[in-house]
Amino acid sequence: MVVLSICFLVFSNPSLMLSTMIGASSDALKLAVELCGVYMVWLGILEIVEESGLSQKLAKLLHPLIKWLFKIDDEETEKMIALNMSANMLGLGNAATPMGIAAMKRLDDGSGVATHAVIMLIVLNATSIQLLPSTIIGLRASAGSATPADIILPTLISTICTCIVGVFLVKICGRIREKLKHKKTAIRIKNNGGRK
Amino acid sequence: MSAYILPIIFVALFCYSKYKKINTYSTFVKGGKKAIPLVIDIFPYIATIMIAVALLRVSGITILLAKFFSPIFTFLGVPSQLIELVLLRPFTGSGSFALLNDVLIEYGADSYISRCACVILGCSETIFYVTAVYTSQTKVKRLLYAIPIALIATVVGSVVACLICKII
Repeated sequence: MVVLSICFLVFSNPSLMLSTMIGASSDALKLAVELCGVYMVWLGILEIVEESGLSQKLAKLLHPLIKWLFKIDDEETEKMIALNMSANMLGLGNAATPMGIAAMKRLDDGSGVATHAVIMLIVLNATSIQLLPSTIIGLRASAGSATPADIILPTLISTICTCIVGVFLVKICGRIREKLKHKKTAIRIKNNGGRK
Repeated sequence: MSAYILPIIFVALFCYSKYKKINTYSTFVKGGKKAIPLVIDIFPYIATIMIAVALLRVSGITILLAKFFSPIFTFLGVPSQLIELVLLRPFTGSGSFALLNDVLIEYGADSYISRCACVILGCSETIFYVTAVYTSQTKVKRLLYAIPIALIATVVGSVVACLICKII
């Protein structure tokens, strides 16, 4: 993609390339500095949630759902995922990130290929249910809308649709993947048996 | 109304932690200490994805893509004015919010187009950014079907969004 866009730029406006790249990376630095502040607050709050035992309660509450979605049985990971999901639902994407990264580290099996649980976590975060689109409501209000909050219901319906479609597709692909794996091992066993 | 939710949660949390006899101050500081190392770890990934997105936009590939995909999206019922928004959304959060603001000003905040745009933005996420940041601290190199599924789900959500806005 990057190579393609640079090739395009060479034809249209080559002098723009470097300035665009540098501009974007300094934008990223600005974002990173902002994120430092955001993460500071949320990681602090998270630590309190953790120490007070609330995250354990939340994990227990969401345990059936998480088990069904991720097929895992590990309390520490479940806690992280539960917090990640709750933050996402409140529309706090930036607060969800540190927990999501922590959960991801624990789900990774080090083989370099994404496992079912890793894919599920990515898709859940990329299609997360948003209960309160507060930023958008704010933008609408400042643009002079008479009823800025009347998008809540449609947003809720379509965000649930997005999430359900994502989860089911991951589930189906996971099934297919498992079957393929079974077939492969079955063939391997057969071949080995034949040689013997 | 929604503005009250977070303050209430925070106050409840602080009271609960006092009730559990936790030193709120030092616990908060302890957690916050991890913030800067985390940002240092993920910064290269954020920067790279932002550079790639900026190059895509400046080179005009996004416009070409929008042209290419516009028949499909019009067929699915997404207004043609919003196709750029749908395509930009998976890459950049701030960029798509800026675009939303333009739409709101151009078509009026209560028009069908604007409501559609709001709902589409509300039901989707910055897929590529999320994926890059979340996998940055792992050894995962091959994501298999993760991104296609996220994209398909987002398109379905956007189509549903436009349908619902027509009905309500």
